[in-house]
Amino acid sequence: MKRIIFLVDMNAFFISCEMSRNKSLKGKPAAVAGDPKYRSGIILAPNYEARKYNIKTTMLVHEAKKLCPDLILVPPDHKFYSQKSREVMGILSRYTPVIQQNSIDEAWLDLTGCTLLFGSPREIAENIMKTLMVELDLWCSIGISENKFLAKMASERKKPLGITEIWVSDIKEKIWPLPVREMYGIGKQTEKKLVEMGLFTIGDIAACDQNILYEALGKYGIELKRLANGIDTSPVEASPVQDSKSISRSETLARDITDLEEAKVVLMELAEEVGIQAREQNFKGKTVSITIRYSDFKTVTRQKTVKPTFLTKEIYKAGEKLLEENWNDKKPVRLLGIGLSSNITDKFTQLNLFDIIESAPEGKKQEKLELAMDSIRKRFGMDVIKRAKILKDNDD
Amino acid sequence: MKLVCSRENLHNGVNIVQKAVSAKSTMPILQGILIEAGDTLKLTGNDLEIGIECVVESDIMEKGSVVVNAKMFGEIIRKLPDSDVSLDYNEESGIVVIKCGKSLFKIHAMSSEGFPALPEVKKENSFSVESSLLRDLIRQTIFAVGTDEFRAILTGCLIESKNNELNFVALDGFRIALRKHNLEGDIPDFSLVVPGKTLNEILKILQYTDCDIAIYNSKNQILFDAGNFKLVSRLLEGEFFNYRNAIPEDFETKITVDTKELLSSIERAYLISIEEQGRNYPVDFKLYNDTLMITSDTTKGSVKEELEVEMEGSDLEVSFNPLYFIEALRVIDDEKINIYFRSIGACTIKPTEGNSFVYMILPLLK
Repeated sequence: MKRIIFLVDMNAFFISCEMSRNKSLKGKPAAVAGDPKYRSGIILAPNYEARKYNIKTTMLVHEAKKLCPDLILVPPDHKFYSQKSREVMGILSRYTPVIQQNSIDEAWLDLTGCTLLFGSPREIAENIMKTLMVELDLWCSIGISENKFLAKMASERKKPLGITEIWVSDIKEKIWPLPVREMYGIGKQTEKKLVEMGLFTIGDIAACDQNILYEALGKYGIELKRLANGIDTSPVEASPVQDSKSISRSETLARDITDLEEAKVVLMELAEEVGIQAREQNFKGKTVSITIRYSDFKTVTRQKTVKPTFLTKEIYKAGEKLLEENWNDKKPVRLLGIGLSSNITDKFTQLNLFDIIESAPEGKKQEKLELAMDSIRKRFGMDVIKRAKILKDNDD
Repeated sequence: MKLVCSRENLHNGVNIVQKAVSAKSTMPILQGILIEAGDTLKLTGNDLEIGIECVVESDIMEKGSVVVNAKMFGEIIRKLPDSDVSLDYNEESGIVVIKCGKSLFKIHAMSSEGFPALPEVKKENSFSVESSLLRDLIRQTIFAVGTDEFRAILTGCLIESKNNELNFVALDGFRIALRKHNLEGDIPDFSLVVPGKTLNEILKILQYTDCDIAIYNSKNQILFDAGNFKLVSRLLEGEFFNYRNAIPEDFETKITVDTKELLSSIERAYLISIEEQGRNYPVDFKLYNDTLMITSDTTKGSVKEELEVEMEGSDLEVSFNPLYFIEALRVIDDEKINIYFRSIGACTIKPTEGNSFVYMILPLLK
């Protein structure tokens, strides 16, 4: 059976989230941007009105202001965007359980066999687009194809609010004439190499000799040729299987901090995000690491082995200990990060007594608690339930 | 202090007490051996974790005491010719003169003041075992003690007495070794955890000794008293793992097998399953038709071993770290054993008769 794969890409996601809670931004040029008073004074996400002034992501704020003096700037609220992203994924999961989130604002959906339930692919796409607009006031573009690569390519064709179908039979006409930089997976460096080789369009890559590509780009070259020919058999997977993996979050603080207790609150918030993702993927890591970047950009990372866990409480506990041991209260800190990883390459797991005993009543309790928190948040929002540590410090 | 004894006796004594001397101690006095000539000649080593004293047969001409560096003194005694050794300590010069045959040493010594005395252990909770039995109890459990410093309590061996039944238990989380012995006489109930290191040292000392050993324990200390030597060790504090609940009673398949044959097969399979860089691959057990098939398939190659067994229950496949089996089977003296398998969960090895031991091994899941 031919697969049916969607790529749902949220349009101008950050600023659209802001517009969804602040209607006054609508119809005016606006952008999410780092506060120019602090260091991150760049445009993160302009809305479509702003884009008319040629304002682009990563542009410096003062340059953007030159192009459009009336540009409204909104400081970023990543927690809010993460929450909105989860809500988006929640809606998408009504259509299929097979979802792979590619980034905060896009995901692949495998809708193979769902046409009897929801109608033709285009009808399903229209339905998804409408639901996202009505329920979340957010726009999206949807690419439809029979594999992930072409779905992604299709979603890029028409923005905003586009629904584009590109099937393997269409690639000659719709994909091959495109310049190589338009191909998903090709960055500036690869583009340079390809152009030097005389490959200007995706069609050139598709026709190029495999050995030449291999010599220039290694295995990746062969993969590119396959993709350029519309061949991509990779499945849509909730959590792609990896031998070693890691989940981490870091935050450049709005201002430098020197207070350990304040740092702990930030760390807790980050640990919570790491924990949520780890539990979502049912991934238990056994190394917790923290990153402290000081205002002079000196960066330290420290790690600690823990017993395999996906619990926020355990991740935070290890992170807190590392933070306490490595905190230098004489130096202001600009960035904090925490990560959970494992280097389990063993295909075998040695059962051990502690897991057996600890996964029994008492240890299971914390797991149940955190999983319950996750599902409550999924339904009602991140802020519905909070840890006391974060609450208390927000109040004073 | 002035005395004469045979080199052999002195050498044996020094060897024993040296096991309690820590070469790394920051206090020079703890790197020493205390030599005390009273009514008898007594040597003592004490690193504050373990303390050992040993009585050595000797002729004492002049009483007194002194501390000598254990490593140097031990080496000297070891290399002396087999003859009588005389030790002469002059307190004023601070020098010990060692004479043996035509060798003469003058070594600097330390005053015995400040050498920590062995802690007194109240003579309660006492019982007595033959050294050969104690040796077995230790040997048959100690290999399973943990090495994880974060679970310090498991680096020791649980010794518990209940209703005249003496249990030695060691476990590292992946396996449990349990050895039982019924004591005669009226033994008080107690439960204590002895550091694995202590038991290892006792095992070494007991290797060539046959005698009765009286064992006393108090809240913090345990004393092994063999008459001519005494060993005192601190105990590990904390709650030992509740092992009783962890050993399953149920099983899916039971086999009876020749211990040595099984050991040899697994040892051979281990040649393939052991990998460089310390990573082990599992060996797979497959039970069917009164046959135990042991296989391992790794980047090195593969191996297949077949054993005839008496089998009860269903066919079954399960994988283990072979080392856990090897270490247990090596210490089992019984010719035949029963092994109880479960497809997911612990496997137990028990004697075909009686209940003198249980080895439990958790499988590897693929």
